[in-house]
Amino acid sequence: MSDQESAHGPGMSFFVAVWVALMCIVGIEVFLTYRHMPPRQLLLWLLILAFIEAGIAVSYFMHLKYERSALAWSLIPAVVFVVFMLDHVWPDAFRLASLRLLSQ
Amino acid sequence: MSELEITAGAGHAGLMEESPYGIPSGKLAMWCFVISDAVTFSAVLFAYGYLRIGSPDWSTPFQFSPTILNGIVMTFILLSSSLTMLAAVEAAKGRRKSACFGWLCATTLLGALFAVLHLREWGRMIDEGWRLFQNPTGGSVHFGAAFFSVTGLHLLHVIGGVCALSVIALGYRRDRYNPIDVEITGIYWHFVDLVWMFVFPLLYLMNAS
Repeated sequence: MSDQESAHGPGMSFFVAVWVALMCIVGIEVFLTYRHMPPRQLLLWLLILAFIEAGIAVSYFMHLKYERSALAWSLIPAVVFVVFMLDHVWPDAFRLASLRLLSQ
Repeated sequence: MSELEITAGAGHAGLMEESPYGIPSGKLAMWCFVISDAVTFSAVLFAYGYLRIGSPDWSTPFQFSPTILNGIVMTFILLSSSLTMLAAVEAAKGRRKSACFGWLCATTLLGALFAVLHLREWGRMIDEGWRLFQNPTGGSVHFGAAFFSVTGLHLLHVIGGVCALSVIALGYRRDRYNPIDVEITGIYWHFVDLVWMFVFPLLYLMNAS
């Protein structure tokens, strides 16, 4: 596929469909919020849906899907790595919570 | 001829190689900025999560009306602005200048409306007694700091984006900018929308009462 073809992307009708899908995901998020599920379960579902939304936005709205794969492979793993490294703060957060509970 | 003369004679073309990504350098620069900003927002959201987990008395004060409802409206506005931005990019690629300008104006207006609604919500919360380190409900004082910091950083990006969109819209109409400049601005605007897709569920829905 040439650069021009790969960068062309779909038409507006497709983007409108993507927009509708994103609004539906937002609706699902609001619906789940008022289902009275445990906070951890709600957080898990909201994060999953948020990442799906982000993937759709990056792929279609930002046209990353229609660029050379080298661009995606250069950008995405860097973000994943940083998020993975940030994801190590939780034990300290829980320790802080237990310290605060003990002090009360 | 000396090597210096050959290089000078070739001009910039003699020194440039094809981009490994097949995109203009401005577009690559915007992608690099988006990645760095994504990492910044990730750090800020992780800090919010850390504060929340570390505070056993965390408040969940947001009622469905008006706060969550306002958040839904703001999400709708921002997603719609991404759609109008896409229309602007498509019009720019098709060399339809007035259509592109119109869609850029629509995007700018929707972004400004988002900012107005957000500031109105801030005003309402401040009237209720919320501050950076003040919680009128008696819960953790970090709630205000986390909420205003995260949403404030996003609001700053929205306002910056609105300014950039105005400049690009006027410049494109006056032939100062070309379609790729519109597309580059679009990448930034979609990123602002993408961040809101995390901010809304994590800061609003997770704090719904």
